[in-house]
Amino acid sequence: PIGDLLERASQRSDRLHALSTMLSQELDSHFPPIGRVIMPRPAMCHTSSLQTPNDKEQALQVSESDLLSLARSLLQAWADPLLLLSTSANTLPHPGQSRISNKIQELREQSKSLGDGLDILSGKMGPDARAVSLLPYRGGSDLGQDKISRLINFNFLLSCFRRDSHKIDSFLKVLSCRAAKTNPQMC
Amino acid sequence: SLPGKPALTRCRSPEKETFTCWWEPGSDGGLPTTYALYYRKENSETVHECPDYRTAGKNSCFFNKNDTSIWVNYNITVVATNSLGSTFSDPVDVDVVYIVKPNPPEKVAVTVLEDKGWPFLRVSWEPPHKADTRSGWITLIYELRVKLEKEDEWEVHLAGQQKMFNIFSLRSGGTYLIQVRCKPDHGFWSEWSSTSYTEVPDYFQRERSV
Repeated sequence: PIGDLLERASQRSDRLHALSTMLSQELDSHFPPIGRVIMPRPAMCHTSSLQTPNDKEQALQVSESDLLSLARSLLQAWADPLLLLSTSANTLPHPGQSRISNKIQELREQSKSLGDGLDILSGKMGPDARAVSLLPYRGGSDLGQDKISRLINFNFLLSCFRRDSHKIDSFLKVLSCRAAKTNPQMC
Repeated sequence: SLPGKPALTRCRSPEKETFTCWWEPGSDGGLPTTYALYYRKENSETVHECPDYRTAGKNSCFFNKNDTSIWVNYNITVVATNSLGSTFSDPVDVDVVYIVKPNPPEKVAVTVLEDKGWPFLRVSWEPPHKADTRSGWITLIYELRVKLEKEDEWEVHLAGQQKMFNIFSLRSGGTYLIQVRCKPDHGFWSEWSSTSYTEVPDYFQRERSV
């Protein structure tokens, strides 16, 4: 049933966001002060053009299919950039480079299986849920030449993913609770 | 002299719908000094002043539901001003989704029940009333701790999303202290709830009399 699929999907999205938070904290532990000043603003994220709710009232008014469509659109928008993060992590000038590399790998795997799960779900929730907004990543195939640029661009991309994974997690948890009317104890 | 540099010390949201920021004033330079908080949201160049300096008390700014957006960066600065001029705090970037710290759980109730002649404690609670867990907007996990009145060591139990927990292997005739706290899926632990006390009957006495 859809409720179980949504419950499992929101557990995975929870893990996805938690991973991105751990990665952000690892990166922040060794980040040049100048980086905070010159790092691009969140509004520059490649997914920022997607209109999403910005508070609870707006979010609770969005239909189930639109919430799922938003989650899938965001997730699919990260397929290429996560690959870029994964290849860039191997040469990241950071003392925690191998830990970061492993976590990025797990991030890709979790993201892939969450995407597969949401594809199945959307098949059960009607055509609107299958609609996906295209959010192409146009940041190129590398994160810059010099060490500082690579670290800053890596951190920026990850900060964008962290925010989007929180959105995905929030949308799926709202969906999961709507589907859980038969099991109110969990919501 | 000019006022000392104030510092934004903390911002917290109890339920991902509103939030509050607090600041530490610097030295006042020996002159009457006023403080103001200004913020700019990431996709706007407009600078706004704090909407509410009162609700959350001294040296604070409260953002109600209408003033609060999530997944949006707030760039916040505090300004101290006296007759000689103004001093600005370092700006701080805040996204409400990363500053959630709920209030403690409420209506903590402890009941002594019996299972095959052995007593156990059933602890139940409610989420903090401000947190909307029903719609899934906020997902809380809970932790409780229990100890005997005369002892120092707490025994901690993770209850997950449940709002009820049973505690077995109790000390006959002991008085137990119980507290509960909660944490959003991505955020900070609340403070512990106020302490609930309960006394376990002296069941060994009854055993000997059988």
